[in-house]
Amino acid sequence: MTRAFRGPVLGLAALTALACGDIAEPIRNDLYEWRLIVPSGAGEDTLHFHWPRAALPVRVWVEETGNLPQLMQRAIDTWESVYLYREFQAELVGDSAGADVIVRGAPAPAKVQLGVTRLPSALAPQCSGATDLDVSPDLTELRLPVRIFIDPVSGDLPGLDRCLGLTTIHEMGHALGIFAHSPNPTDLMYTDPNVEQPSARDRETAEALYHLPPTIQAVRPVLE
Amino acid sequence: MPRSLLILAVLFPASTAALHGQTDYYARVGAIWASDLLRDVIVSEINVRQSIAPMVAFGASLPISPGYRVGLEAAVTSGGFHSEEGPVETDLGTLRTGSLLLNLEGPLAQGIRWRAGLGALMYWPSDDTGIFRQGGSTRWLAGAGADYRRPAFDRWDFMASLRYDYHRFTTDELEARDFSSTQAVSRVSLSVGVARSLR
Repeated sequence: MTRAFRGPVLGLAALTALACGDIAEPIRNDLYEWRLIVPSGAGEDTLHFHWPRAALPVRVWVEETGNLPQLMQRAIDTWESVYLYREFQAELVGDSAGADVIVRGAPAPAKVQLGVTRLPSALAPQCSGATDLDVSPDLTELRLPVRIFIDPVSGDLPGLDRCLGLTTIHEMGHALGIFAHSPNPTDLMYTDPNVEQPSARDRETAEALYHLPPTIQAVRPVLE
Repeated sequence: MPRSLLILAVLFPASTAALHGQTDYYARVGAIWASDLLRDVIVSEINVRQSIAPMVAFGASLPISPGYRVGLEAAVTSGGFHSEEGPVETDLGTLRTGSLLLNLEGPLAQGIRWRAGLGALMYWPSDDTGIFRQGGSTRWLAGAGADYRRPAFDRWDFMASLRYDYHRFTTDELEARDFSSTQAVSRVSLSVGVARSLR
């Protein structure tokens, strides 16, 4: 090897030797059951849903009451930030007619429609929340829109803003596909949450559910 | 003291003029390819890749001994990046990079010179989201390559360059999410341009 070639060849060899090794991903195995378990003819059926890429961004219509639109935008931002690869995106829209999710600042109707599963949450004295999921009788379709209810039970009690904030994020968690409650009180998706941000377990659950094939598809009822 | 100042006053402009006469300047445009930025597993494997991106490079060098020069080279690139999970590809936005390398260069063959250097590489994402949620990233960079030059005009040479560089990639967001170690990223670029003739 001539002297002129020796330097660059040795340099390239050193670089090649260095060019090995990969980043190691974190272990994501701390999940809770997120699927909706419903009775079916044979016993129980486990329903798993996430918004398909083609449906993103999910269109969210919010009733103009109090600071609910701002709270819902924060809830969307919070859940979008959970994902590394843009698995979930949502936006507020002005027309409720084409919305995938409808959010009302009112208590959920006392009577649940036939076929609708209600996920009641946030049982605090200041506020409560609920998400209604309308699943078809054959358990293959999620009929849109998903309906969220955020109810400021009392405007006088201290802690109302905090309650509304975390409840809005919690209900948005249901709307994106977490169709169950965490058994752990330190998770935002606990039935009666007391934390303001998704925990690592919430995050890992939300991430995992977007990488498994859904068992139900979102459909919009056709106008007769 | 006045005498030494006088000597300096005479020598400094003279040396500056001499350096200017020996300074090599160049500019090039080309394309750059990069290996995977990230490999992740969430149920199945996910790879984050940059698209082949346009690049612009500028540089200058000074002689340090006969045949050898030391110089600085800056390069910027701008292109898309995306994630791949099986057949599903998701656009993650635009990623710009800027690099600065301190190079040593020397002769390789007729019209061809080698160079190798160390420096830094900065990532500037268009959005602070996803793996860049806590912002861009600055990494150490090592690079090497070869330049081919031939006279083209009176005072300018045609220049074609092949470059390889290497760095370890991570971001604050990935570290916050317990990704350990860093990802080896190799980049290869091909570019053409003009260089000030030293003939």
